[in-house]
Amino acid sequence: MKRFSLLLAAVAMLLSAIPAFAQEPVDVNVWIAFTDAGRLGWAQDRAAEFNEMFPQYNVIIEGYANYEELFAATALAAEQDSLPAIVQYFEVATQDARDSGYFTSIAEALGDRTEINGLSVNLDDYVAPVSAYYTLDGEFTSMPWNTSSAIWFNNMNYLNEAGVEIPTTWAEVEAACEAIMALENAPEYCFTFPNHGWFFEQWLAQQDAEFANNGNGRDARATEVTFANEAGVAVLEWLNDMMDKGYLYYSGAQGGASWATVDQAFSSQQIAMAAYSSSDTATYTQVGVDNGFEVVASFLPYNDATGWTGNLIGGASLWLTAGLPEEVEDGALSFLVYMTNTENAASWHQVTGYIAIRESAVEALSDEGWFEENPNFRVASDQLSQSTVTTATAGAILGAFPSIRNVVTQAIDTVLLTDEDPATVLQSAQEEANTMLEEYNLLYSE
Amino acid sequence: MQGWIPALILGIAALLGAVFLYNTVGRGHRASLIVLGAGALTGVAGALLFMLPLNFCTFEQEHDIIDQVFGVLLIAIGMAITLLPARWVLTRLLNKQSFLAVDASPGAFKGIILPFVFLAPTLIILAVFLYYPSLETFRLSTLLARLGAPRTAFVCVDNFTRLVDDSTYFNTVVVTLLISLAIVVIGLILSLFVAVLAYQPVKGARIYRTLLIWPYAISPVVAGVIFLLMFNPTGGIINYGLDSVFGIQIPWLNDPSVAPWAVILASVWKSMGYNILFYIAGLQNVPKDLLEAASIDGANLVRRFLQITIPLLSPITFFLVITNLTYAFFETFGTIDYLTGGGPLNSTTTMMYRIYQIGIRNNDLGKAAAESIILFVMVIGLTVIQFRTSGNQVTYGA
Repeated sequence: MKRFSLLLAAVAMLLSAIPAFAQEPVDVNVWIAFTDAGRLGWAQDRAAEFNEMFPQYNVIIEGYANYEELFAATALAAEQDSLPAIVQYFEVATQDARDSGYFTSIAEALGDRTEINGLSVNLDDYVAPVSAYYTLDGEFTSMPWNTSSAIWFNNMNYLNEAGVEIPTTWAEVEAACEAIMALENAPEYCFTFPNHGWFFEQWLAQQDAEFANNGNGRDARATEVTFANEAGVAVLEWLNDMMDKGYLYYSGAQGGASWATVDQAFSSQQIAMAAYSSSDTATYTQVGVDNGFEVVASFLPYNDATGWTGNLIGGASLWLTAGLPEEVEDGALSFLVYMTNTENAASWHQVTGYIAIRESAVEALSDEGWFEENPNFRVASDQLSQSTVTTATAGAILGAFPSIRNVVTQAIDTVLLTDEDPATVLQSAQEEANTMLEEYNLLYSE
Repeated sequence: MQGWIPALILGIAALLGAVFLYNTVGRGHRASLIVLGAGALTGVAGALLFMLPLNFCTFEQEHDIIDQVFGVLLIAIGMAITLLPARWVLTRLLNKQSFLAVDASPGAFKGIILPFVFLAPTLIILAVFLYYPSLETFRLSTLLARLGAPRTAFVCVDNFTRLVDDSTYFNTVVVTLLISLAIVVIGLILSLFVAVLAYQPVKGARIYRTLLIWPYAISPVVAGVIFLLMFNPTGGIINYGLDSVFGIQIPWLNDPSVAPWAVILASVWKSMGYNILFYIAGLQNVPKDLLEAASIDGANLVRRFLQITIPLLSPITFFLVITNLTYAFFETFGTIDYLTGGGPLNSTTTMMYRIYQIGIRNNDLGKAAAESIILFVMVIGLTVIQFRTSGNQVTYGA
């Protein structure tokens, strides 16, 4: 009797295990470089919805402190053959991501499918500057997600009091600064920018000047950087001039640490204007509301002498690991499509200020009246959609770009804090960067 | 490279080794032939210690004079590493002395195996997590290597010799030494001062002492963040206070002559708790009767402090100098990363921080490995000098 019931129990267990086994969801690991509730939390919410809709998949999102840490974790995981299905890379690591051989292009993975798991894929729906950046060798390579542009934030209390318009060129910035700094209750400084290589690249692109050779690394692998050109020197000379006149506030922080110093100066109203990423439009607008000053966003001022061609994008994209089992790859692709569908692209834009990366999302937001109510939020997409796409404004793609950026910010640091000649400093920075690029290419090319 | 160069080098090394051992050990000894042979062999082994892995690359024709000098230096170091122990072993062998410094006492192990069995767990952990990575560092330092790259390239000793005419590297060494010196000197003087105050028998002394030790429990990174908020040139509390009281604003973080002081202040504050702890313990060990006797002899407070307390604290001071120096060299990097990021104008880029920038941020592993070996050698050198010089003046008890 006892034996019989045991057997029965065993059979019952087996029977119940079979359907469970059949439905065992496939793990799809996603590594991103956000840890804050706003962005990591948003992604995890999307994953939860996705897992609910598609019980055959289990998307797990893991956050890393920053892009560098994520890059190191990815390289180590690759050595141990335990890469996640999706990894987020920032735009300057695009060449590194391509060269690593860890990833496959989205276009290739999709093949000729126009929908996956019932989710329609419409790669043509992504806004032009975004798809231009991530289209490499004519192929849609990685999935855009958080895309921003450099814009200009104005504390209108100061500008109105000084009776100046929002500046659109470098000369207008100087004129506005003159008026603002003459105010009785003038701020400590007139304006600031994060000493992050991206801003130098933006000002270079505006003048239609390339950062690297071979069409900014888009026609063929970049073998030399060319940023010590006239346009580059003009940027440094302008910044130096503004520093000497006492208009520019330089916190001394470089790269990733520089963002917070601008936040602090702007929110405490020690400055009237700031160059910043559109990624924080929501925060910057709110800071004004909280502290009783009006914040208006505008295009990033450009060099009057050369005119404005356009601005480039920043942010990061999501890369699909090569050689995944088919069901994992399909799950990963479906999640990528889901996370960047019209509705989610719009929501991501509203939560952060990263631009709405789909034309359909922009339309939906317009219809809703979102941009009319929140004009600051449309500045970045307007700036990008009015840009002429050239190799300069598409943005440079080259190896060792993260470290070359450090060389650039170091050069800006030197120019702002010493009397050295901007052209000489930039020239030696270019030489140093060329050595880095040469060494990188030695290990990767051919 | 011509084939005769390695042969010539090894020949000279054999000759030097033989002469060295013969002169220091074997003169007039019956076994002088054996000594000569052993000397030649160890000389060759020493020369090969670095040259075999490098394949004598420093003497190839395309390398310049700096590389060749560096190669000779490496051979000399290699020979010192093999010949000095060889002399020690040979002396003991020929004089039939024991290899163990201490004679077996009642509590000692009899065999040689059992102690090693007990030591094994530690040794294995050290080997896996310390010795093996260290050897890897040596290998990496001869390569052009990136994490994730499909291949590496052998660059001989370029990673070392390129630093010779790198003015920013020289600047980094100076910055490191100055910041470390300031941290140790200011830190110890302030800590001693506070420790003496906290040692006074006042009400609530225990609470004060506990609070004083607190900063020690904070990580260098958190210290960096705290001071970043306080020192911020716009909106930081220190400038706000200075501005409202004295009407001045100090560019703490964006002036290269001021920023190192921000790092020094933060690091001193961070390490003070530790120093105070040791100084209070030291003060408790200063014999009261000695101080009493001195005061009966008419010595005033200052004199008693300078001539009795400070000399009696010298073992602790010596210990603290070494631990603080290690802290200044290796641990301030977390503070620097968050406070200044090495800037402005590299005025706070210490050697350790530079290694982090090159190796982790720029992902250039070979150069970072080479620089970390230099730092390692420097710290060893400093410690040896310290033991040699200040070690003699330390008074351990009456």
